[in-house]
Amino acid sequence: MSVPPDEMPEAAQRRLQQGSFSSGLSVADFGACLDMGLEPVGLVQGFCAMHWGAYSMGVLGRGVPPFAAAQGGYVQNYQCPHNMMTAEHRSWGQNYQQGWIEDAWRTGFNNAYSRRRQEAQSLGADGVVGVVDAQNPLSDTGVVEFHLRGTAVTLRDASASSTPPNAAPSSPWSTFLAGQRLAKVFEAGYAPVTIVTSVASVRMWSYCITEFLLDGNNVPWANTTGSSEIHQVVDAQNQVRDLVRSRVRSSLHGDALLGAHLEVSAREVAKGDFEFQSRLSGNRVRRFKEFEPLGVPRATVRLS
Amino acid sequence: MTNSTNDLPQATEHRLEELEHGLFTSDLSVNEFLLIKEVGFHPVGLVMGSSIYHTGLQTRKWSQSQELTKLTEAMYNARELAMTRMEEEAAELGADGVVGVRLDVNYYEWGKDAAEFIAVGTAVKAEDGVSRLNQLGKPFTSDLSGQDFWTLRQTGYLPQGLVMGTCVYHIAHRGLGQTLGTTGQNVELPNFTQALYEARELAMTRMQDEANRLGATGIVGVRLEEKSHQWGSHTIEFLALGTAVTKTSEQVTLPKPTTIISLDN
Repeated sequence: MSVPPDEMPEAAQRRLQQGSFSSGLSVADFGACLDMGLEPVGLVQGFCAMHWGAYSMGVLGRGVPPFAAAQGGYVQNYQCPHNMMTAEHRSWGQNYQQGWIEDAWRTGFNNAYSRRRQEAQSLGADGVVGVVDAQNPLSDTGVVEFHLRGTAVTLRDASASSTPPNAAPSSPWSTFLAGQRLAKVFEAGYAPVTIVTSVASVRMWSYCITEFLLDGNNVPWANTTGSSEIHQVVDAQNQVRDLVRSRVRSSLHGDALLGAHLEVSAREVAKGDFEFQSRLSGNRVRRFKEFEPLGVPRATVRLS
Repeated sequence: MTNSTNDLPQATEHRLEELEHGLFTSDLSVNEFLLIKEVGFHPVGLVMGSSIYHTGLQTRKWSQSQELTKLTEAMYNARELAMTRMEEEAAELGADGVVGVRLDVNYYEWGKDAAEFIAVGTAVKAEDGVSRLNQLGKPFTSDLSGQDFWTLRQTGYLPQGLVMGTCVYHIAHRGLGQTLGTTGQNVELPNFTQALYEARELAMTRMQDEANRLGATGIVGVRLEEKSHQWGSHTIEFLALGTAVTKTSEQVTLPKPTTIISLDN
């Protein structure tokens, strides 16, 4: 693979030319797809192995303007109120956006996405349902593998009322949904356009008060007695959520996001040095008809 | 037992004789049992096949990503032997197929580099007397649960066989030069991407080849499993597994689902 992301490996071409379909759908989802007029044509996938490291300037970098400032990303400084200048006392702290991590993640995801789309296009698919995406470390090589797969489908009869319309005719649409969940989205008047996923990363270098509070120390002269909010952590958590939400919002182009899932993780890189990462994914959908209320559900009680 | 797989152990024959007299065993849940009866099949017995296989060694180049063909063959043959023995048990019972097949690999302390491959499932027979054997004249196999089997029948499809493809792949270690070359950068490593692509696609292609040999029109419920077994983290088995199906009826009789709201806590 000479890395253009749209170039499909020879092994994939060989498999996809075989004729019979394969599907990663469960039987229930498979049945629901047939019922909606979606014919599975093949399991499609895309990969990208990325060299991965959480690079920063480390201890030596403290006091140096971070890369994010040069890139116009989020930066917030925290100044020690105690006027103490000792080696142990963290006289200033900083939160900053790690744009290079976000760029690397985007490269890995987009390459895998493009390859998966290329496989779907080679099958003449109208869409891809039941997309699963994963990022896993590859053994102990310092490599992270981006993996996307799903089941490519064609519309059996695009004019049938039970068949979702193609909201993205230029390339196969895609969705994390499959089976009855997809059927219900369609019944609600929405057609899938594409999966949407983004990440944001914020690094936090603690200043003295954050460090005291995170350590559980109540130091009277630091105004940290009793319960108190840890502002620097709150700021980092809020920013990492806001950044990923605004990025996803800008990719919707007026469409709606359904089934959104937001994850935020925190990792302590070194003492007082934290990395917050958020990931937001969901299904970009477009309204194609007015909402028709579902029938009244039957109330049930399990006897077992 | 020889590799010809045609001779079942004496204990098995005795157990199967008992089953032929009407008593059946099955690991189906009550719901699964009822659903299988609903689509016109009857369980005739729990069947299994086993193979203890010495997986051996294969030299691998430290800095080269490559398929380890000897290990691939070993993993493939061992599973095939277990599956074939299970199919033979089902055939002895006059079954049309086996549902709920589980394929497991177990390692024991007493056998270095030896692994036991086991296939277990419930043999079923069509109640209308019409043969549902697959294109090869053998009982069909599938890893579908009773619920999935019922649902699949409503879509007009019939299982033909549990199909699988495997590829044992060695992922290269990174040399000092390569490591230094990417220090400080998060970049794609095309060789790794290519290697993983190749390994998974080979496994899936082999699975599809099996389906084609059964004359199947498709494979449902495909799973991609990755395990290092006992080979270390750089050697991975990629296993693709699914149930090959053929369309037997154009009619989809899957009822429209009823929306429910649970009042349980």
